[in-house]
Amino acid sequence: MSFIPGLGIARGMALTLRRFFEPKATIQYPETKPDVAVRFRGRLQLLYDEFGNLKCETCFQCAQACPVECIDMGGHDTKSRFYTHWGPAETFGERREESAVRRSGRPVPDNAFTHFEPIDLVAVEEILEARDYDPREMLPILEEVQAAYGYLPIAAIKHIGHVTGAPYALVYGTATYYSHLSFERRIRTIGVCRCTSCLLAGSGRIANAIGEALGTRLGGRPAGGIALEQVPVHSPGAASPLVTLDGKPQPDVTETSAAAWSRSLAKKSVA
Amino acid sequence: MRAIPATFREQTRAARAFAEQAWSGASTTDRLALILVPLALMAFVGFVVSAVVMLGPTIDFLGANQPLVRFGVAAVGILLLTVPTAFVLIYMELKVIARMNLRVGPNRLGPWGAATSMIHGFKVLSKEDFAPTGADVTVFTLAPAVTFLASVMTLLVIPFAPGIFGQDLNIGLLYFFAMGGLSVLGLLMAGWSSFNKYSLLGGLRSAAQIVSYEIPLTLSAVGVVLIAGSMSMTHIVMSQSGSALDWFVFKQPLAVLIFFIAATAEANRTPFDLTEADSEIVAGFATEYSGMRFGFFFFAEYVNVFIMSALLVTIFFGGWTAPFNWPWAYNLNWLDASGIGLLWIGIVAVVLFVATDILGAAIWLFGGRDWSAPAAFGLGFLVAGAGVTAAVGLACFIAFDWVQGIFWFMAKTYVFVFVFVWMRATLPRVRVDQLMGFAWKWLLPAALLNLFVTAAAILILNQPVTPR
Repeated sequence: MSFIPGLGIARGMALTLRRFFEPKATIQYPETKPDVAVRFRGRLQLLYDEFGNLKCETCFQCAQACPVECIDMGGHDTKSRFYTHWGPAETFGERREESAVRRSGRPVPDNAFTHFEPIDLVAVEEILEARDYDPREMLPILEEVQAAYGYLPIAAIKHIGHVTGAPYALVYGTATYYSHLSFERRIRTIGVCRCTSCLLAGSGRIANAIGEALGTRLGGRPAGGIALEQVPVHSPGAASPLVTLDGKPQPDVTETSAAAWSRSLAKKSVA
Repeated sequence: MRAIPATFREQTRAARAFAEQAWSGASTTDRLALILVPLALMAFVGFVVSAVVMLGPTIDFLGANQPLVRFGVAAVGILLLTVPTAFVLIYMELKVIARMNLRVGPNRLGPWGAATSMIHGFKVLSKEDFAPTGADVTVFTLAPAVTFLASVMTLLVIPFAPGIFGQDLNIGLLYFFAMGGLSVLGLLMAGWSSFNKYSLLGGLRSAAQIVSYEIPLTLSAVGVVLIAGSMSMTHIVMSQSGSALDWFVFKQPLAVLIFFIAATAEANRTPFDLTEADSEIVAGFATEYSGMRFGFFFFAEYVNVFIMSALLVTIFFGGWTAPFNWPWAYNLNWLDASGIGLLWIGIVAVVLFVATDILGAAIWLFGGRDWSAPAAFGLGFLVAGAGVTAAVGLACFIAFDWVQGIFWFMAKTYVFVFVFVWMRATLPRVRVDQLMGFAWKWLLPAALLNLFVTAAAILILNQPVTPR
């Protein structure tokens, strides 16, 4: 198409005239509030009072609430000589009383500030490899890790974050969002007696059947949130082998029903 | 009971003591009332007495000096007109550009933010009025006044309606361009007296721009002068009377285009606002200005936009004439409002009173529990007042041709004001060499061509040039 002088001007003017009648993008802030995400924590602000003093009373709530530990607190020492962090990095989020307790030399009984316990990461690695280290598969990965360990260890979450490339906050957020994922050890124990009379009644075969069904063995690593252990004491003379669940005897578990029973138990404990 | 003081001196003392006691015991509101009520009484009495005594001689004096009175009234009128015009234009600019940017614009001061520009004006007024060291203070102070007055004085010859104009000069258009050209002087004075090289450069830059565009602006209007056969503004408007088809825009389309572009440059509007390209360079001639002296430059600029639109409407778009033939006679016999008398005022007052009562009572009775009597009757008064005002306005519109004239003139003018603002919201600024090149290489030849073609057409068609 040939050049028509003034066409660009006309098109521009038409655009602005159309904009004149279009709905406006302005949000009248104090009257209407924008719709923000549920996990929005507000804007961080340090306020000063009318005397110019910082109103922050170092309650450390912000540092403690921050899921990705991007808030850490520090300041000047009392004579304004140098900038300092008040303690080692793992104590950034501690409260004043906790800090006082820690400085007094007594042990601090708070899980939030003790290091997460190291775990055997082989199972996590297997699960991740099967899922091709894909962060989009986060929910199945976490579900499988919970199935393997009975809960979600912090060490596993850190490791998942490292190897998949997903931020720790994302993994942590996913884990806290779903109610069937838990950080706490919710493990059930099936006890099988191995006293002589029970062995004669077939408790060895029951133990093998349960172990095969759950993917573990007697005294081995828990699987499906269930640990298989030996009942320590049993008085001999029983008619059937003693099987307990969390210490309670289960008289109707037999050699034939043991596998199905333990499988349904595993399914329940994971879900 | 106190004894009545005997002597005059004692009486005075007692009265004074009473007054002092009353004053020290009074609250602030009472004191204000004590001052204002006597003052108002005195003013009222004085007004009535002077009206009775002085009315005859005053009328005689005014009648004997009619041209002088007309000039005084016109000068005061146009000066007063500039203030609301500038406020409306500034508000319009804020609001229209905001809407075109998908924003809401000012909406906090007054209804829909309408008081924004007024408050803005007060802010500028209250700022420090500063003159830099080394400045030529006399010229520095005069420059904004010259710029402003050069704009305002052009309004003297603009006919707003039949009979509503400052002065119908027979060289009205010439006077307009001469006065408009004076604003360059103000800008140069500002640039020179600021004692600042940026101001001087800015002043020269704007002088170059305005002088360059003055030529096509004037030449494009000459064609109209040839057709109308007069430079009197009223005559030019009258020769376009009839319907919209008689407007000169259809006889001089090229001239309208040239005039509009040149007027944009003349009024320092985007895309030719190089005089104070605020986003790119120092503020030009206004660099050293602050407070109301600075305010006057921009006051003048906004008034200039209105004036340029008004002139465009006057000489090309039929001025105050209606765009179609008005289907009935101006003066309806049964509605002879031109002789507004006591009867008419009485009728309007009675109608307003009755309508207020009826509406207020209706709202009060049927409006539910939320309406108190004052609120209900207040709203009734507002609605009735709006209705009566609209009715009176309509009656005036039909009865008085000058009300019609002002309506059509203002409607047309504000259409072009809107176009100026619209352009500012749309177009980017041109480069300075493009600006000058466009004026001299395109607009001037086009204006000359238009002039020659018009003159030739008049000769060929042997259209009689009506002498005034």
